[in-house]
Amino acid sequence: MRASIIGVGKTRFGPTTYTLVQLLHQAITSALADAGLEARDLQAFVVANFLAGPNNSQLHLNAVVAGLMPGLHLPGWRAEAACASGGVALHQGLLALNEYDPVLVVGVEKLTGIPGADLTHNIGMAGDAGLDQAVGLTFPASYALVAQEHMRLYGTTVQDLERVALKNHTNARNNPKAHFHQKNVTEADIAQGPVVATPLRLYDCCPISDGAAAVILSREPVDNRSAQVLGSAVRTDAISLVQRETRTSFSAAVEAAHDAFRQADIGADDVDFAEVHDCFTIAEIIAMEDLGLAAPGEAVELLRAGETAPGGAIPINVSGGLKAGGHAIGATGIGQVCEVVKQLRREAGQGQIARADIGVTHNIGGVGGTAAIHVIGRG
Amino acid sequence: MSTRRCAHCGALYPYDIESCTLCGGELEELPPVHGVVVASTRVETPSRTHEQVPYWVALVRDDDGRVVLTKRDADVDVGDALAPEEPPRLDETVGVLGYGAMGRGLVELLLLRGASVVWWGRFPDKLADGRAHVFDRLTRSLDQSQIVEAEDKLTCSTDMSALSRCDLVIEAVAEDLTTKLEVLKEAEAHMRTSAVLATNTSSLSIDELASTLEHPERFGGLHFFNPPVRMQLVETVSSAYTSPEVSRALERYALAFGKVPVNVAPSPGFVVNRALMRLLNEAVRELEEGVASAQDIDCAIRLGLNHPMGPLELADLIGVDVVVSIMEDLATRLDDPSYAPRPLLREMLTRGELGRKTGAGFYAYVPHPSAP
Repeated sequence: MRASIIGVGKTRFGPTTYTLVQLLHQAITSALADAGLEARDLQAFVVANFLAGPNNSQLHLNAVVAGLMPGLHLPGWRAEAACASGGVALHQGLLALNEYDPVLVVGVEKLTGIPGADLTHNIGMAGDAGLDQAVGLTFPASYALVAQEHMRLYGTTVQDLERVALKNHTNARNNPKAHFHQKNVTEADIAQGPVVATPLRLYDCCPISDGAAAVILSREPVDNRSAQVLGSAVRTDAISLVQRETRTSFSAAVEAAHDAFRQADIGADDVDFAEVHDCFTIAEIIAMEDLGLAAPGEAVELLRAGETAPGGAIPINVSGGLKAGGHAIGATGIGQVCEVVKQLRREAGQGQIARADIGVTHNIGGVGGTAAIHVIGRG
Repeated sequence: MSTRRCAHCGALYPYDIESCTLCGGELEELPPVHGVVVASTRVETPSRTHEQVPYWVALVRDDDGRVVLTKRDADVDVGDALAPEEPPRLDETVGVLGYGAMGRGLVELLLLRGASVVWWGRFPDKLADGRAHVFDRLTRSLDQSQIVEAEDKLTCSTDMSALSRCDLVIEAVAEDLTTKLEVLKEAEAHMRTSAVLATNTSSLSIDELASTLEHPERFGGLHFFNPPVRMQLVETVSSAYTSPEVSRALERYALAFGKVPVNVAPSPGFVVNRALMRLLNEAVRELEEGVASAQDIDCAIRLGLNHPMGPLELADLIGVDVVVSIMEDLATRLDDPSYAPRPLLREMLTRGELGRKTGAGFYAYVPHPSAP
């Protein structure tokens, strides 16, 4: 793989009155400015989004993006893979570098303002209409079942889930772009959160965020702020939990990680830090195991020892993750990359970690139906 | 949910598909999963289509490692043996009496659900019209081979003897006591004694209809809403005579039709019409008193109560004559004059302004050239 990330731009994730188009515009212009480019320098773009159709009555998003670049008529298309839309779009953008250079990849989601019961239903569209949605398997319910099996198989506890929440909320306090940057969340808040779907409580779940994120890809680096894409892999799996042999690990993520690490010619030990898809606290634990950062069932040991905190051996979700950083679904996979690049450039301010030469992003669609893994190194 | 397994390579598919995508092998349908709960979650957040919380979703696994999800309204524990409920199938023969809007809609619904249908009507030409109408509708959702299948499953007859094949007969003739009594008695005479007879009446007394039958214990109400293909609700009604077994059958049939049954007492207007007629009458009174214009009354109710239609446009859709007759009936049977149709409704009835079907009601309707 020979590709560089020459510009990144990310809006704050969280509730806002900005529209889908305004969010797209903010992310695109800030990524272009970061790269020192103008829109007319671009040769193609990919736009990632999950729910603008049902939520905002807006599809045909590539033409919406085209409207932000009047007269350019660039090749452009949309990627949708539920919560992995961003990661999949990035993979497509990298493939597109064979033909176009530079390529813009932008993800966006507008979730606030939709009544809760409708939004829960719409997000549930990431599951199978018949197998999952029809029996009330909302998104939290899916991960609740996954958590229960993981707890039973490996002895993972409710306290472990709370540890993930507390760590990521603490991290978010150092990330001005994070959904819960301003919010001080205590152990007591977490333990007393209302039940969403047993065993998951409110603070086990990522929030409903608006936001957009963009990166600009090129075959060649521009300067030492450019980051290198060392590996990029997407894998899929059947959409419903009932179609899987195991539900305590996501095969798509295991295989994508294997492929991305092979491309980068690294092992899990070489990873300095990772932004993983903690849409629910249990998902961070499983992500670490799927990436090979811990053996199955053993991620909690690193967690309990504080090794996944910013000062630990393998910092996980220094940005706050989806859990506290926010989950602007279609933007998430690209937002993770922005956060990793920020660390690689040593531009993370108070959230900067000491060893940040190789970072990994782990982006999951649904309950493991899609996995997009990227390995990113310093330029 | 039915699972299919490839007879050649063993791949599993939880979908009703025709061959194995991997090897082209033939698929065999596996029996439903009977297993043990391996995980169960209590869901506390409502979502559209699952508004009632809490509910439980359990993951059930059998000895072969096949898993299935099932929704329950009571707690289930890990380790519980569970056989997920199968959606009821409709492989029975259903009779439909009458070819009005409801009769046609019911036949369309039943054929879409895969039932065999015996359709009875008094006049052959009207029955033929109805049949043509139903198949015109079905061509919008079925392919040619499915249409041929549906044609094979539909028997149209002006002779009630064909009803002897039916497991269930639904009466949907004109909303008139004498007509209904006559048709119900005649149908009963041809039906098997094990079959269920149901009326789709929206306003007549179920007890009164039942009292003249030979087997009132096999009779009850299945009140559909127009159009039955789209409307989810069925009010299931047991009379004073209906047997518990038949009451359960009515509910089971409603589920098999893909509907949500709500069991109601045999009281006038049941749940929906009794509440609706008050609303319609009050809206007409507001119009009479000049509280707001017809458009504004409808707009306010739509937005303020989140109704899909305003009461006046709904009255136009139902038909002012039908509305007046239901109101009069409710006023008498409930002994409540507030149900008596407002003067404006009676004036519209006299003028023949019956709503959409006459082109004039609370609104004027221009016939649409391409409307069905």
